Amino acid sequence: MSFKYYDELKKRLGREPTPVEIEAFTVMWSEHCGYSHTKKYIKMLPKAENAIQGNAGVLPIDDKWAVVFKIESHNHPSAVEPYNGAATGVGGIIRDILAMGARPHASLDSLHMGDVTEGIIRGISDYGNSIGVPTVGGELRISEFYKHNPLVNAMAVGIVERDKVIPSKASYTGQVIVLFGGATGRDGIHGASFASEDLEGEKATKLSIQVGDPFMEKQLIEAFLKMKEEGLIEGAQDLGAGGVLSATSELASAGWLGAVVYLDRVPLRESDMEPWEILISESQERMAVLTSPEKAERIMEIARYYLLETAVLGEIIQEPVYRAVYKDEVIMEVPISVITNPPLEDVYPYTPGEIPEFKHIPFEKVEPSNVYFQYDYMVGTDTVLPPGFGPAIMRIKGSEYGYSVVTHSRGDLGYQDAYWGTYIATLEAVRKTLAVGAEPLGITDCINYGDPDENPEGLSAMMHGLKDACEFAGVPVVSGNASLYNTTGGKPIPPTMVIGLVGKVKLAEIVKPHEGDVYVIGWDRFSSAYERVIWNVIRKLHSCGCFIMAPSHMESLQGYQRTFSEYGYTLHIDKISAAPAHSKIIVVCNDNRCIENVDSKIPVVKVGVVEKA
Amino acid sequence: MPQTYHFMIDIQYKGNVRDPRGETIRKVLVGEYNLPVTSLRIGKSVNIEVEADSPEEAEAIVRKACEELLVNPVVEQYEVRMI
Amino acid sequence: MNPKAAVVVYPGTNCDRDTYYALELAGFTPEYVDWHGDVKGYDLVVLPGGFSYGDYLRAGAVAAREPVSKSVRVYAERGGLVLGICNGFQVLMEMGLLPGGLLENTSGTFICKWVDLEITDTDNPFLSRFKQGGKIKLPIAHAFGRYVKVGDPNVALRYVEDVNGSDEKIAGILSEGKNIFGLMPHPERAMEKLLGWDYGKNVFLSILDWIRGGNRVV
Repeated sequence: MSFKYYDELKKRLGREPTPVEIEAFTVMWSEHCGYSHTKKYIKMLPKAENAIQGNAGVLPIDDKWAVVFKIESHNHPSAVEPYNGAATGVGGIIRDILAMGARPHASLDSLHMGDVTEGIIRGISDYGNSIGVPTVGGELRISEFYKHNPLVNAMAVGIVERDKVIPSKASYTGQVIVLFGGATGRDGIHGASFASEDLEGEKATKLSIQVGDPFMEKQLIEAFLKMKEEGLIEGAQDLGAGGVLSATSELASAGWLGAVVYLDRVPLRESDMEPWEILISESQERMAVLTSPEKAERIMEIARYYLLETAVLGEIIQEPVYRAVYKDEVIMEVPISVITNPPLEDVYPYTPGEIPEFKHIPFEKVEPSNVYFQYDYMVGTDTVLPPGFGPAIMRIKGSEYGYSVVTHSRGDLGYQDAYWGTYIATLEAVRKTLAVGAEPLGITDCINYGDPDENPEGLSAMMHGLKDACEFAGVPVVSGNASLYNTTGGKPIPPTMVIGLVGKVKLAEIVKPHEGDVYVIGWDRFSSAYERVIWNVIRKLHSCGCFIMAPSHMESLQGYQRTFSEYGYTLHIDKISAAPAHSKIIVVCNDNRCIENVDSKIPVVKVGVVEKA
Repeated sequence: MPQTYHFMIDIQYKGNVRDPRGETIRKVLVGEYNLPVTSLRIGKSVNIEVEADSPEEAEAIVRKACEELLVNPVVEQYEVRMI
Repeated sequence: MNPKAAVVVYPGTNCDRDTYYALELAGFTPEYVDWHGDVKGYDLVVLPGGFSYGDYLRAGAVAAREPVSKSVRVYAERGGLVLGICNGFQVLMEMGLLPGGLLENTSGTFICKWVDLEITDTDNPFLSRFKQGGKIKLPIAHAFGRYVKVGDPNVALRYVEDVNGSDEKIAGILSEGKNIFGLMPHPERAMEKLLGWDYGKNVFLSILDWIRGGNRVV
């Protein structure tokens, strides 16, 4: 079998790798687990200064609550089996948030495909609705560019008490690792490394499909939160790509310790599995937690109450090695740092050019409500601004603050210029966030790209675009994910950076849709300077009580008409001209003085009216 | 002279594909009803009528319907039975 | 002392926390009762929405046969107040406590949105605060909400427009004794204007009135 970093592995081990090690490292050093192509770029991005407990992904909302959020791709599995690929994508990101001790509170997606693939939407709908996490937003972009490589990016937001964040690292020798969730089968063996290959590759046909089990996920969520409530969990990591191996080696290595795992203890769904298959299986709906030997029994009792499989999988050891044992036989033993420090590709130099004259590359029109009405966006009774206007607004019960959340991307621009496509998408996400009266807190990014070995410059352009935009806007990047090798027959997707942006909102200051005159304010061209001006206009008009929308595509506003009618209003609006990239907003205002106070150098055009239906 | 033929199509997940629905229901039957159920898989059945000149042609039409739409060949398998 | 309400939790129930919160807002003292539990001694029993056992067999089918459901039956047969919302309505139907069936929406998809409803019966413990024929808005969120009529049920709530293909646009029905109310819309999601409309609150306040009026049964 081919393994790109074979020589590197041999060098680091100082010997020939065994067949089991080759299987293991193919997964662990894949882009999906190891971020070998993107890690050095990620280091360049601005970090959050107010992160809690040094945990990059945890940002404060008020004195009590913090939000955690992350986006993740599930592109390759969704290309092979749309329904289950999309469903398990949602499940995976929810567990990611859960492992930090947060209750999953909102979920979003960003979908790119060649035509409306009902399987993908249904996969998200069936899974998300069942687990009781509201799907509050997303984007659906239909274009030929994504015909063979659909992009399914799922984002989750969780809320957690600031002092109850669960670390994802081991803290002492003798700590035990308890596994619970669904039984382990051969699902998705090599899914992670498959996610790093051309779709026509050999693995595409051999991959065993992961099937989502939302009932199990729901039980897992409640079991985990119950264990947390009882103070039983000292550390946690969900099992995703790389399965047992990835989760347990990361926990140990993050605490500068080692681990031993006993693979024969793993509850199996298929009894004839090889030890290495158990080690790297990507069976869904599983979680690994660290606890003391005394507390392990109670953890397993809770797991069983919630109808989950469970076992003490192994323990943390002083020696900095990763040891996998099967029936008293050591099947793999390597220095733990070799697993968790994959070879890293260097940053490719990049200097941005001028903003190009973008051509208009239209996406096919889709009525958004046809999609989001299939998602339960209200369960949890915290959805203050529902999907349809841009970012959703969520409250946190008992707090005077809430958060806004949006996913946004510009593959149409990325196709023309990877740097500016990413840059503009990022600033547009900021514009959207400000428009609902929120102040940006942080970004989670999902890099969707073609082949970085073939074309390293485009990836570099995206990462520089993200870095520069975040620095311009003063917004940190708190988490992210990369999906590379989105190519079919050598043809790549457009560089598509998906931005997940969370902002902080004061509930008393929320402006809901209302009657008034409709204005378009701003310029038909994008520039950073215009953008800065528009942001200030948004802040002023919002505090004046105006309802603001910030679509990146102004040519189709039927979606807004539908959403206003849900609220009992009718939106009458003229056709609006807009360049592919612009610095414009749509404002609904019932007090002329607000508009009169806008600086006269800024273009303002009245384009319609919102009336009571 | 075309005739109407009547078929049942039984669609199941392929043997190597997980069926979480079946697994859950099996667990309930074993755990709460004490029934010795060792395997349970839930599929779909489609009751279909087609017009054709011969049974062979009719079955070919039904199989085409399966392959083009009714069955997801990545994860499902099917059997056709004339009734 | 506030009346005590049981919120029944099956594996896979997902509106239990929302229902608990709504009951508290309305002035009840709610408690969770799990699938092994017993609802004896409560002033109200609520079966919340969700996907009990994933709805993997039929919506509500496995839950309807759990130990707690047996205690709900005893409770209901003694005249206790039972409110079944969404999946809870499906469970009540699987238990045979309410007549009819709930099948897949005609659209074939899950539908989540606010809908307009008409109150068609106010002479019961659940809707006394509404006007007969009054129009209200509540959210729906279901894939299996198409009500199929069997016999002549006590219809308490109808959709103003057809949303899921239900017979006679039926959205909620009462048992013969009117102590059991099942509905597909979610009153617990309509408690505060902040989230849209607050018509749901009057469902819980009606129940409170009824209990406070000395109508305790169990």
